[in-house]
Amino acid sequence: MKLDTKGRLTFPGGVHPPTGKKLAREIEIQDGPSVKQVSIMLSQHIGAACLPLVKKGDIVQAGEKIGDADAFVCAPVHTPVRGKVKEISLQSHAVLGRSPAVVIEAEADNPTRAPQSELEGDFDINKYSVEDICTAVREAGLVGMGGAGFPTRVKIEPNPRLPKETMIINGCECEPCITCDYRIMLEWPKKIIAGIKLAKKASGCSRVIIGIEDNKPEAMEAMSAALNDLANGNNIKIVPVKTKYPQGGERQLIRAILKKNVPTGGIPPMIGVVVLNVATCAAIAEAVVNGSSLTHRVVTVTGNTIAKPGNYYSAIGTSIKELIEFSGGVTKKSAKVVLGGPMMGIAVADLAMPITKTSGAITVLTKEDIGRAKFARRQTACIRCGRCLEVCPEGLNPTKIAHAVKYGFLDVAESYYINGCIECGCCSYVCPANIEVTGYIKTGKIFLARQKKKMPE
Amino acid sequence: MLKEIKVSCSPHISGPFSTRRVMFDVIIGLFPAMAMAGYYFRIRAFVLIFTCVFSAVVTEWLCNVIGKKARPFESLGDLSAVVTGIILALSVPPGLPFWAAIIGSSFAIAIGKMVFGGLGSNIFNPGMAGRAFLSACFGLLMTTWAVPATIDTKMPQIAADNTVDVRTQATPLAWSKNAIKTKTAAGIVNRQLEDTFTGEVGGCLGETSAMALLLGGLYLLIRKTINVHIPLAVSLSAFVFASVGYLINSEAYISPLVHMTSGGMLLCVFFIATDPVTAPLTTRGMWIFGVGVGGLTMLIRIVGEYPEGVMYAILLMNAVTPLIDRFCRLTPAGGKPNV
Repeated sequence: MKLDTKGRLTFPGGVHPPTGKKLAREIEIQDGPSVKQVSIMLSQHIGAACLPLVKKGDIVQAGEKIGDADAFVCAPVHTPVRGKVKEISLQSHAVLGRSPAVVIEAEADNPTRAPQSELEGDFDINKYSVEDICTAVREAGLVGMGGAGFPTRVKIEPNPRLPKETMIINGCECEPCITCDYRIMLEWPKKIIAGIKLAKKASGCSRVIIGIEDNKPEAMEAMSAALNDLANGNNIKIVPVKTKYPQGGERQLIRAILKKNVPTGGIPPMIGVVVLNVATCAAIAEAVVNGSSLTHRVVTVTGNTIAKPGNYYSAIGTSIKELIEFSGGVTKKSAKVVLGGPMMGIAVADLAMPITKTSGAITVLTKEDIGRAKFARRQTACIRCGRCLEVCPEGLNPTKIAHAVKYGFLDVAESYYINGCIECGCCSYVCPANIEVTGYIKTGKIFLARQKKKMPE
Repeated sequence: MLKEIKVSCSPHISGPFSTRRVMFDVIIGLFPAMAMAGYYFRIRAFVLIFTCVFSAVVTEWLCNVIGKKARPFESLGDLSAVVTGIILALSVPPGLPFWAAIIGSSFAIAIGKMVFGGLGSNIFNPGMAGRAFLSACFGLLMTTWAVPATIDTKMPQIAADNTVDVRTQATPLAWSKNAIKTKTAAGIVNRQLEDTFTGEVGGCLGETSAMALLLGGLYLLIRKTINVHIPLAVSLSAFVFASVGYLINSEAYISPLVHMTSGGMLLCVFFIATDPVTAPLTTRGMWIFGVGVGGLTMLIRIVGEYPEGVMYAILLMNAVTPLIDRFCRLTPAGGKPNV
């Protein structure tokens, strides 16, 4: 049967930025740089930060757990290399600023982890109990690899208060330039399906829907072939969705596929849904079947000035600088290095910043990519054209919130539901006046949290 | 080559839109109307448009200098002063003396826009504010209509006033007012439908040709410079209002089609009511605003004392726009949070 790859499902709002995916989309996943030193951040997820389990001078083995905490919402961290703990110090973190990390000097003859491959042999779901799966997922330090980094165990383990019915697998990858999830779907589809089956069993969901944007028909075909091999009749299906940014936001994906709304400020389990990224699913299979912890991930290094754009299976803790150099460096003058994609990624100031479990891409942008007016930060006044209201996928009034924050009226911003913002950046993208609408809203959220003493100064 | 990297908040790319592009599109959209004005009122039309635009731009620059802006030329780049100048020029009688045009245009920019804080902060549409000022100060000049150069007077009962160098003629809406008062002769006005469509009638410089305004409006809709809500709301409400009158007494009230094609209606529908700065933000608000503009225009035209009501309808609805915005709050997609 020919697979129908035309996506009809979508959500209201959204934008169509240039995808920029052609640079790296046809390049196979390769091994990343073999590193001399890695910095493992102790906080790579949402929730309590890990405490170091090692001290300076300790010898650690590859895959050894080096940080953990007792908190419920937490995921331990592991070292990708064998070596000696050089120090435990503050390193640049994309979101948290300076944050504690374990710095490990790798031994010279480090056995590199076997090049990541597709799941081999038969896969028998009955070998694993729900407890086995949850423990393995927790011990492997799995977090949502799409960007938010919510500990996966918390998501998939059975919770009697919020029973889950539907599991949605996010294979949209709507963010421009990034291709790591696409490559994983093409190259490791069996591993993803195995991970889905494990997660389905653990969470007790009765059905699984895999949402893939309709600009990735090859991925849909690969996934559907693997699905036929491994999981026939398991109530798992692939659904093409329209190509639109931010289709891969979990609230938007749920809205598109299930026509249900996650409550503002709420989380998907409130409506019985759990959303997992395809990369996370692959990591679940690895953790449960192979017992390997999350120490490596696929990182797309891309940009018009990168000599060899590609998708590299790299050790977590590798510095951005090393990854860029490994990709042949930049060929021309570049203006910005972004951890993530151009819409939601974070511009980094310190290239020594290590990548974390949630870093899917490193994008190098030039002045031309950014646009001349935006590069020069040339803004005009808001002409109230209402484009930001039209594109807001959450149905908010971005200009009102942004201007309330600008003039310090945080109560007004709150009354216009500032906390419903998912920070997708559509409003800033369409703004003809080049106003950093998303920037103001993000700032306002931080101010509000401080005001409510939820966040330190 | 990565020595100088910049940091800023996401997103790091921006769409192909700019304020200047929006304003430039409006200017392109007004082009057919300007061309038709030139065709009917000859060189005078172009000189008048140029006068208004020039004085609008100079006024904005002067305001920036007086306001001690660091770069007084910068705000001129968004082209909004040019748009205001053109709109004002197109909505005044072709025979308006140039000195009056300069006064009106300067008022539109200085008092209509700059005192509120410049582009984006004004409450009233600057073009309409300037026109209102001219109507209040120079009532006679603002109701003296030149006849298009292409025609001889067609209507039988025209009180031609040949005392000045421009021949003058009443507008279809003035006859309509007359018809309402006498309860007769609306049919004669209705026969002018073809002329109001092409523009071969007396009236304001750019308002006579419905055809040209429709063309420009279509361009703006295709370019997505304006969205369809306000034009639809204004025209539907005006059409319904006019139809009711026409159905009640077709001798006293002129046909809704003539109402739609004459006076400032189409200029208002596509270019004035859709001014984003002075219109509401939400779709629901846009409909309320549009219905208000259309309804008030017709109320003034049919019931009120003035033959034309577009200007006052716009200004009144501009004044309540902040209230409409407050009334039409959006509910987030996920519903109101339980706080």
